[in-house]
Amino acid sequence: MLRIFTIAIAVLAVVIAVLSVAIVSARVVRTARARRQSALAAAPRKQLLAFVADNGEEGADDLVAIGEDAWRAAEPAAVALLGKVRGEAHRALVDVFTRRGVGLRARRALRDRSPVRRARAAQTLGDLELREAVGDLCDLLADRHAEVRIVAVRALGRIGEPGAAWRLLASLDRSDPTPALLVTDALVQLGPDVEVTLSAALDHPQARVRAVCLDALGLLGATGTAGRVARVLRDDPELDVRIAAAATLGKLGTPAGIAPLAEALRPGRPAALRAAAAKALGELGAKSAVADLEAQLGDPAYRVAHEAAHALRRLGPAGRAALERRVAAADPAEGGHAREALAMLAIGTADPAPVLAGVGP
Amino acid sequence: MIEEWTRDLLRITDVAIFVYFVLLNSSYLVLIVLAGQEFFRHLRRTTFAGADDMFRSPLTLPVSVIVPAYNEGPGIIAAVQAMTALRYPRYEIVVVDDGSTDETFALLQQQFDLVEVPKVVPAEVPTRGRVLSVHVARANPETLVVVRKENGGKADALNVGLNVARHPLVCMVDADSVLDPDALLSVAKPFGDDPLRVAACGGVIRIANGCTVVGGRVVDVRMPRSWLLRVQVVEYLRAFLMGRTGWSRLGGLVVISGAFGVFRRDLLVRIGGLDHDTIGEDAELVVRLHHYLRERGEDYRVVFVAEPVSWSEAPSTMRVLGRQRRRWHRGIAEILSKHRRMILNPRYGRIGMVALPYYVLFELLAPFVELGALVLLPLGLWIDAINVDFAIRFALVAYGYGLLVSLTALFIEEVSFHRYPRAADLARGLVAAVIENFGYRQILAAYQVYGAWGAWRGKQAVWGAMQREGFSSPPPAVVGPPPASEPVPAADVTPSRD
Repeated sequence: MLRIFTIAIAVLAVVIAVLSVAIVSARVVRTARARRQSALAAAPRKQLLAFVADNGEEGADDLVAIGEDAWRAAEPAAVALLGKVRGEAHRALVDVFTRRGVGLRARRALRDRSPVRRARAAQTLGDLELREAVGDLCDLLADRHAEVRIVAVRALGRIGEPGAAWRLLASLDRSDPTPALLVTDALVQLGPDVEVTLSAALDHPQARVRAVCLDALGLLGATGTAGRVARVLRDDPELDVRIAAAATLGKLGTPAGIAPLAEALRPGRPAALRAAAAKALGELGAKSAVADLEAQLGDPAYRVAHEAAHALRRLGPAGRAALERRVAAADPAEGGHAREALAMLAIGTADPAPVLAGVGP
Repeated sequence: MIEEWTRDLLRITDVAIFVYFVLLNSSYLVLIVLAGQEFFRHLRRTTFAGADDMFRSPLTLPVSVIVPAYNEGPGIIAAVQAMTALRYPRYEIVVVDDGSTDETFALLQQQFDLVEVPKVVPAEVPTRGRVLSVHVARANPETLVVVRKENGGKADALNVGLNVARHPLVCMVDADSVLDPDALLSVAKPFGDDPLRVAACGGVIRIANGCTVVGGRVVDVRMPRSWLLRVQVVEYLRAFLMGRTGWSRLGGLVVISGAFGVFRRDLLVRIGGLDHDTIGEDAELVVRLHHYLRERGEDYRVVFVAEPVSWSEAPSTMRVLGRQRRRWHRGIAEILSKHRRMILNPRYGRIGMVALPYYVLFELLAPFVELGALVLLPLGLWIDAINVDFAIRFALVAYGYGLLVSLTALFIEEVSFHRYPRAADLARGLVAAVIENFGYRQILAAYQVYGAWGAWRGKQAVWGAMQREGFSSPPPAVVGPPPASEPVPAADVTPSRD
């Protein structure tokens, strides 16, 4: 036993000494490397800033001529600039990247064995908004690594080529689907040209696809599809899809949504659907729905009564009068939601603040 | 006259204790190596993590940040102001004043111009302390809510916060925590990337003492001045940052700190919120979540993100630290007792077969064995069961292995996040890793044993309070010399694991 202890002590002493040296060495090497990188990147960074400040009119050749080491050190700053500048400066910067062969290398790397390299390449192509890469990125939506698919979705959104819509929707219809919210976000970035595709996909057999289409249509403000969305609200067999349809009608804000939403609000429907319908009527500004909403103020389902009250506070004097009637008529235990909505109205918050003070891009 | 069999028994026991130490440290080492792999993996992915896209997206899931507060006067304003400056597209802050007897509410009311609203609070999860009033900030009524309630403890405050919360994700944060600006984006990100499976996500807690906090942000990271705190820094790195990351990689994470964790609200409602009667309510919540989801055969993940982090004030006196550790250990004992049916039950997968048995063997029992070694080794020497050579080498190997584990953690920290930029702090970390073995571990083991004993006896749990120094807004301030006075015993919001 003592012999084992002795050997163990010797081994431990060596490993501890090696680790201590390794910790100190890691610090020394990292600090030296950071200094070197910083020195290398300093000049290219200045050139880059001058270039974008000048809308990319001068200096492109100088940027292309920067040595590989210095460019690599400055590349994170250059990529960050890509996300911050728009218009001519963006196009000029993309041109510099293209001339340096960054886009070509990234397209090649989409077929790399490493998922990390594939994802990085997809990110680069998205940052460059390279339309030629859309086909390759669409192929990446079937990648076996979820993280690669996610980056491809975001890249396609940034590029904004409407032709990618079907492939994005198809990526939802698999056993390991891409995240619905990311796909919705990407579809919205593709712009109004995808409305026809999204409307057609409302008949898709996969409920997740239908829900994503509805969310995207709502965010795109596709008012022309309101009738179609109303039919989904009425007839779809999936509750989650019907809830998404109610929310979409609220966002679309057309009068065509009022009747189907009021219908969905009626007792007997699932509480989650009724709450979504109440909220949507408020967002839609449906003054004609005041009576329907007022009738829900005493509903035993918290969310239904709550959303109805807060929808009424968005509906101007008629909504306010309905809330006041409820407070006057109900005993203190029953008029709670109306009282809460009136109190919020009194401090001037008809619409929720989208972001906190101090938060900004 | 001591019988030979007694000597044999002591000899065998001492060897068994040695084997236990080796296994214990080996398990830590495995977890730390796994954490190292995870950090490497994480760092390779930062360029395409998509934090900016998430921040810009109108579809990012909104979060309700629940902040339980009991007598948090010194730091509550800075904490809430810091939370309002988090980089996240849509969130609300719900501060639950759990019957504070100090000026916590008055300060909030004055600073944020709070207006009382007759809010209807649903009873989706059970609560005990009555809600006295609900207030909103006049300038941002949808984003800052302050609830005043009768004192009912941290779990009760969190449950009230859950009922008030409007968003699909809830983030529990201690009132003394300072979050990195991107912390909320990072812990909420797994829910966006894997929405069908992620049920909860824990964030890292690091020690704020010694750091410079300006405007609710840690702007300069430094080692604290006291060695007691420096040792805790190393301990947090090893046990919480690396240990939990390792468990997350193994799919066996059972502790998400109440000081910083995000959960799906609907799931917390389904399992009835936090348990009022367990002192480690945060860990119990996660174990119960596993219990619930495993029993229903649901495909889910409980994950942990290593960066960015939440900074928390750590106890700066041995007395307060001891009480904290006593409470934590009591929490472990209560949770393992409450969920004992899960232990070694294949129905609960890795949680039942690996994580919980590990907690019994290497978390619950470790302080007992440590103290046992302190008693039995000298006893063995006294009755000649072992000789001095054996005892010295035993101690060198056992503590040397512990030191190796801590140094490995420091090495991984240095090559991954390297949050302490000063060379002197690095040296202090190395020294702290050594001196941790002399007195610190042994004293804490005694407190831990006391905590487990309290759980076993079913004694009424008493929360100790930690007197807070608070975080200063400009001019820059350094957090925390040791508190001068004895804290008032009451329910506090000291993190129950971190």
